[in-house]
Amino acid sequence: MNRLLFIKICLLTAFAAALGSLVKIQIIDAAKYQAIARKQYEAKVILPATRGNIYDCNGNVLASNSMFVSYAADPKIIGENTEKVARAFSRFFGKPEAIYLQKLHSVKRFVWLERHIAPNVARSFDIRKLTGVVTLDEPKRLYHYDETGGQVVGCTNTDNVGISGAEFTFDKQLRGKDGYVVMQRDGLGRTRPSTDFPREEPVNGHSIVLTLDIGYQSIVEDELKKGAERAKADAGIAIMLDPNTGAVLAMAHYPSVNPNTLSNISMEALKVRAVTDMVEPGSVFKLVTASAALGNNLVKPDQMFFAENGTYRVPLNGGRVRVIRDTHENGMITFAQALELSSNIVFAKVGNIIGAERLYTEARNFGFGMMTGIELPGEVSGDLKKPVEWSGATLNSMAFGYEVGVTPLQIVTAYAALANGGTLMKPYIFSKEIDEEGNIVAIEEPERIRRVISPETDQVLKNLFLGVVEHGTGQSARVPGISIAGKTGTSRKYEDGKYEAGNYNASFVGFLPVENPTIVLLVMIENPKNGYTGAMASAPIFKAVAERIMNNNGLFSKDKIAGNRGDEDTLLVTVPNVCNVKATTAVQLLDDNGFHVSITGTGDVVVRQLPAPGTKIHYSDIVQVMTNLPAGEAGVAPDSHGSNQVPDLKGMTIRRAINSLMTDKLNVEVLGSGIVISQSPIAGTLVSPGMKVTVVCEPRAITTAQLY
Amino acid sequence: MRSFAPRSAEPNLGDTNMTQKNNHIDRIILFVVLFLMVASTVVVYSASSMWALQKYGASSHLVDRHIIKVLVGIAAMFLAMRIDYHNYKKISKIALAACVLLLFITLALGGEVKGAQRWLNIGGFSFQPSEFARFALIFHLSALLASKKEKAADYKTGFLPLVLWIGVVVVLVMLQPNFSTGVFIFVLGMVMVFIGGAQLKHIAVSLLALLPVVIVYMISAEYRLRRILTFLGKDRNTATPSRANYQLWQGIIGFGNGGWLGVGMGQSKQRDLFLPESYGDFVFSIVGEEYGFIGTVLFLGLFLTIFLRGFRIAKNARDDFGRYLAIGITCSIVMYALGNALVTLGLFPTTGLPMPFVSYGGSAIVISSFAIGVLLNISSQTDLHPRLTAVEGADVSELNEPAVGKVY
Repeated sequence: MNRLLFIKICLLTAFAAALGSLVKIQIIDAAKYQAIARKQYEAKVILPATRGNIYDCNGNVLASNSMFVSYAADPKIIGENTEKVARAFSRFFGKPEAIYLQKLHSVKRFVWLERHIAPNVARSFDIRKLTGVVTLDEPKRLYHYDETGGQVVGCTNTDNVGISGAEFTFDKQLRGKDGYVVMQRDGLGRTRPSTDFPREEPVNGHSIVLTLDIGYQSIVEDELKKGAERAKADAGIAIMLDPNTGAVLAMAHYPSVNPNTLSNISMEALKVRAVTDMVEPGSVFKLVTASAALGNNLVKPDQMFFAENGTYRVPLNGGRVRVIRDTHENGMITFAQALELSSNIVFAKVGNIIGAERLYTEARNFGFGMMTGIELPGEVSGDLKKPVEWSGATLNSMAFGYEVGVTPLQIVTAYAALANGGTLMKPYIFSKEIDEEGNIVAIEEPERIRRVISPETDQVLKNLFLGVVEHGTGQSARVPGISIAGKTGTSRKYEDGKYEAGNYNASFVGFLPVENPTIVLLVMIENPKNGYTGAMASAPIFKAVAERIMNNNGLFSKDKIAGNRGDEDTLLVTVPNVCNVKATTAVQLLDDNGFHVSITGTGDVVVRQLPAPGTKIHYSDIVQVMTNLPAGEAGVAPDSHGSNQVPDLKGMTIRRAINSLMTDKLNVEVLGSGIVISQSPIAGTLVSPGMKVTVVCEPRAITTAQLY
Repeated sequence: MRSFAPRSAEPNLGDTNMTQKNNHIDRIILFVVLFLMVASTVVVYSASSMWALQKYGASSHLVDRHIIKVLVGIAAMFLAMRIDYHNYKKISKIALAACVLLLFITLALGGEVKGAQRWLNIGGFSFQPSEFARFALIFHLSALLASKKEKAADYKTGFLPLVLWIGVVVVLVMLQPNFSTGVFIFVLGMVMVFIGGAQLKHIAVSLLALLPVVIVYMISAEYRLRRILTFLGKDRNTATPSRANYQLWQGIIGFGNGGWLGVGMGQSKQRDLFLPESYGDFVFSIVGEEYGFIGTVLFLGLFLTIFLRGFRIAKNARDDFGRYLAIGITCSIVMYALGNALVTLGLFPTTGLPMPFVSYGGSAIVISSFAIGVLLNISSQTDLHPRLTAVEGADVSELNEPAVGKVY
């Protein structure tokens, strides 16, 4: 036996083993290890696309983005500094150290420590000495007018994806396309740009211009809220259209939602109920019946009908009898009077004259039973049965607005047709899509659907509906000096298969001025407990809105505000009209235009402004606005002893809080900045002028965030 | 059957003065080793730059030191080439005794490196006495085997003195503690004793005697036990390897990432602080990543060449001392290289064995170079590469024929 050969064979075997192992690792399994290596050393960093803005028709920004600061850390890099980092965070953010320690003891290489901190807060937190902690800028959606238009504008979730309203409908256009850059990572987790991959730039989202007018929206929402509260209603919807185009100028929902405070909003509250909810319209549907009757020359306005003294027994098949009642007991009345007094009995009779097919066709022509196609999520078509599906009572019922399901938007669209001379317009809320350079990518033109009323009939109908407001059920909507046509409607809510007593939908829909209508507005109040009819609950809201809008001609000049700054005289900007607008909206609007605002009074609504609307002033000048509650008068009602109560300042901006206190001749001490979170002495305490009130403020992340 | 037993006609060493009349050295080994050392500077630079930047703030910090050692090593190799290897026979005992003393000193006052006292610092130059001891032992075992060859089979007079020397060195190295080097020196010694003609039963008995000692030793230190357990239960294919075999796992990723042709010179990703010691014991992985399967096979081929050429020199050595010395040196270099490769490939438990000439290393590269120089000197005293003018009165064609056939 050759011992040298034995050793040789042993070593050659070892060589062979190494070779075999190399074949296995480097050739057979290479792909697997290459993938693992790649995962280790390549990090794909997403470059988020900026979401497009949402504007109203005058170029006011409804939704934009703000950058928030988030803190993250690599626990491995922090290593023995874990406690130091936790202590620093705990001290700054006021949370227990344990929270941060738990995060930092994670085996992961990336943990969030704090998220979405306002930049001005973040600025005062020095993390330079905290090795391993990084800051990341995270975009967050910012809604400039808070709850104004909340449901319609919609909101995004934490991933910045639209989940409701226009944010949802136009998500694709707004979102853009994220870019990315591939970074090379080393064993410590540090990254540097990789040269192997080109950088993929993000494509920013397009902006969307809505037909909404934030001024009108603010007024409508404000009055809807007041009216609904007055009526102790569950909810309310108000829709304002431009009857000539079908453009939605305002779409208000009560209760409102503030998309800036997403965390406590339910999906239910975010619904655009103006299109998602189906109601039985009640008397407002009599437009369809009247149009069918007059349009087909079946009935004349002055034709007499017997209103059965308020109780009409209609025999049905099988010997049963249906009783139709009127709220007003009438004898012989004209058709015009029947509309003015909203006689269900007469309309039931007119229904019989018209016949099922013709009434159905008319309703269909007015757009009922079909989706309008508006650019809002969740629209329903309503429920308009075909005559073959009707029961014996349906014709009579439908003639005065029962046994038909409609959306609020369908009602207001039908009245828009009446207002504009008889053409059904497609309602729309999308105006333009604009790319980053300002080029118009898409634009929506008003769309005529069909003529539903002949011009002659239209004129007659308008007069009839004018009569409703002038001397009928709609008198509570009357505004002296303006001709308003409209119709009230009160329907019992149909729930669980029966009409509920004491649960009503009270509506009023009308347009103005009748000669040349520019506005058609529907107000619908759900379950008002303090005056249940449309006349009592909804018509006054219509009136209040009409008054404020008429006092406010040329509100929010239709020139785009941004355009003003581009004028040859760049320093001069036209002061927008903010009269009758909610104070907070007015301040926001003036702010957006670059003006400084000084508020006097403590009310919610601006009643006067200085300089007057349309004046051109330097853009940083002060605009003074006065609210509806003058300084001396209220908010802080002076009591009989000459001393004042401290107003409730909670939630106010510092500016308003100081204003409010100054008008009471109280001295103010401000701690912090932003929104008042507490005060001393508390609200309601009696104080005499000259006393000091301390307010504690906290930054309000949303409005102090930097825009980009 | 050809025996490895000594030739009957042994030249008279006393009056042989071959220095001037030497034949050519084995140029292939010379070129292979030079190639390895030059290539190592490129590989070590790539593998060490990120770590050097991280630890010392300069990417060339480690490679600068490596290049100096390579240059010293080349000088040492050429020096050893010119020294007649027979000179070592006389001083091997003293040299080994000195190394044993150094090992004692190291144990007493050596600096701690990774929990072990392996380094001795003299005049700012730190070196591992175990490296010296390894080669001193080879030299002395060769000398002993050459002089006591008839008695090697005898237990008391032949085998025992050999094993005692091995035992002393191995125990001292292990006490540092440097388990893997100790084991390798032991195996190396046993290979030499085995080739020297010791009886198998003697070897077997000493192995058995050592076994319990080794086991106790292995489990006496936690990190050794963990390494062994890691190796036995190695989970290379799981996504989250345990911390203990993190280095091994990263090394294997490096090999795999290289694929057939490698990612290219200086393009290693694993050296970007993923693979610890990427320039040291795991440099072979970086070779595999940057130069692929082609590169690793080339490097293994180079060591295979040293191995085959070294054994060929041994067979043709002038005398038994040269033969044992050639085998010892060749085995030492090749076993280290193979051990290192098998460790990085996960076939051996993780140890601290550098790859000769390639890994960034301290004294090892100089001493290994010197040893190769000695091997080359042995080769120059064989008839493998005859210097034509030096062969007086011989039939040139007759002498040349086999040489040409054998060498090329």
